[in-house]
Amino acid sequence: MNRYLPLVLISLGILAFATLFLVIAPGIQIAQRAVSEGLRPYTEQEARGRAQYVSLGCVYCHSQQPRSPDQAPDGERGWGRPAVAGDYVFDRPHQLGTMRTGPDLLNVGARLPSASWQLTHLYQPRAIFPWSIMPAYPYLFEKKAKAAEGDTVVVLPNGVGPADGGVIVARPEALDLAAYLLSLDRTYPVPANSLRDDGFARRGASS
Amino acid sequence: MNRPDKQPVKSRLADEGYEPWENNRRIPLPVIWVAVALAVWGTATLLRDSGSYAVAQNERQSGETVAAEAPEGGEALFLARCSTCHQPNGAGVRLAVPPLHGSDFAKAGPEVVAQIMLRGIDGPIRVSGFAYDGRMPSFAAALNDGDIAQIASFVANRFGGTGAALEAGQVATLRAAQANKGSWQGGAELAALVPDLPTQPPMPAEAKPATDPAISALVFAGKSDAWSCASCHGDLGQGTENTPRLAGLAQGYIARQLRDFRQGERHNESMNSVAKALNDHEIHGLAAYYARQRVASAAQPALGGDLARGEQIALQGDWSIGVPACFSCHGPSGFGVAPDFPALAAQQPAYIASQLAAWAGGHRNNSPLGLMDRISEALPEADRRAVADYLASLPAVPAPEQRAEAKIDGGKDEL
Repeated sequence: MNRYLPLVLISLGILAFATLFLVIAPGIQIAQRAVSEGLRPYTEQEARGRAQYVSLGCVYCHSQQPRSPDQAPDGERGWGRPAVAGDYVFDRPHQLGTMRTGPDLLNVGARLPSASWQLTHLYQPRAIFPWSIMPAYPYLFEKKAKAAEGDTVVVLPNGVGPADGGVIVARPEALDLAAYLLSLDRTYPVPANSLRDDGFARRGASS
Repeated sequence: MNRPDKQPVKSRLADEGYEPWENNRRIPLPVIWVAVALAVWGTATLLRDSGSYAVAQNERQSGETVAAEAPEGGEALFLARCSTCHQPNGAGVRLAVPPLHGSDFAKAGPEVVAQIMLRGIDGPIRVSGFAYDGRMPSFAAALNDGDIAQIASFVANRFGGTGAALEAGQVATLRAAQANKGSWQGGAELAALVPDLPTQPPMPAEAKPATDPAISALVFAGKSDAWSCASCHGDLGQGTENTPRLAGLAQGYIARQLRDFRQGERHNESMNSVAKALNDHEIHGLAAYYARQRVASAAQPALGGDLARGEQIALQGDWSIGVPACFSCHGPSGFGVAPDFPALAAQQPAYIASQLAAWAGGHRNNSPLGLMDRISEALPEADRRAVADYLASLPAVPAPEQRAEAKIDGGKDEL
């Protein structure tokens, strides 16, 4: 270690190169695109639900980036068309995720549009899927002897509900989170000029 | 006296004072070659893959141009869109699909044909001396003005013998005039459009049975141990993504699937849970409710499938891989053949593709005689997407009349 200067210069060069091609250039590319038609900002309730999603760490198991058909059969799973950069305009920080311990959630609002189903699933995933490894979130709900006016009662099949005949009602946190999940719907058609992942498209090149 | 340990002690001290150092040596030439080769390879890969984007973008643009300019002639469009029911020679199917050849409607000119295409027919109609149960889908959403103009001109010219041709602009005017009017209510309503028609059968009095309030509550509110149907399948059963369209499926088919879900013969955790909460009366009521629903298609191709390949599989099948035409069992244009063969037209593409995958993988096996299991296994993944996208591009056919269902109800078939 007797030649620090070239080492430092080379490492700085590599860092600058990476920043240019991984941060600055994509940033310029994305900044040129307008907000997709069909995408709307989150409402206040959905934004609160989004904060719940972030704080509960959903991103550690769920991605939000359906892939193109030549990379994964996400379309056949009902996870929707491949995502494009414009789908995330209102996501700060984005919740793309890398783990697919659970299913991709970008279009969960389109494929499971039932708020009632979402609440049941959040309260106890194993009430629906006996094999599910998703944690239950009972603290987003409360048990009451009788539902009051305006309460959202959670539908509970298979005798999962309280044994003493009470009901489970959703707290505002659960309703917010469900609203956020339902707002995850990017099934509008892809804008013509959007940036998208074309995989390794060779179509037309060979033929 | 020797002191043999003296020297080693000295040398050990020297060792400990040793400062490692390196000569300035040239990097070996092969290492430089490897580095240069890697750099060249990396740059080449970058350039080649940036081409992928251009390739896909060009392909999309040319695809849009093709769709916009519609260079296909009226005959090609007729063969692709109309001949599956009306037959390539326009002869129709006796007692099922009215003939076009020599019919009063084709003779009335392309404007009448275009208006029928835009709205579809949902009611009894008399054509060339025979009465038909008119069930024609509306093509307003599935075809653009140019396509409709070409097909209408072709039909009026070939089967009606009129020389008039229709322009896309005229279709746009007709489309605006006929928008939101629903289907033509059989020949009786069309008689106002076409003068000198022979007597048309009257539209039967709307014998819509009042929906049981208990069934209606199930559909829209659910119950304490089951979610409402509408919360997933949509208010009218349109479906979305891999939640199937239920509107217009045969009553017997829906009822059988619900019973299979209840008994665990068909697997879907959410539906298993809902079906367990239903009794026989409720299953019957729900199936009847959804079989009656008439709602336009909410599906569109979304899986990036090859529509031409999908059309080929649906219309002709592919015997090189042992796959018969979808329409050979599921009815012309995928209308469905009650009660075992569900309607496929306008079904959600993600649902079709996921069910085909489920049959192939053995996760769904309640197909009569195991027909779909074998067909799905033979279809490669790209073909599954292609046929699902093609079926989603078809317009929805009006649900069959209630009396047709009554026959099934009265029959002794074990559904």
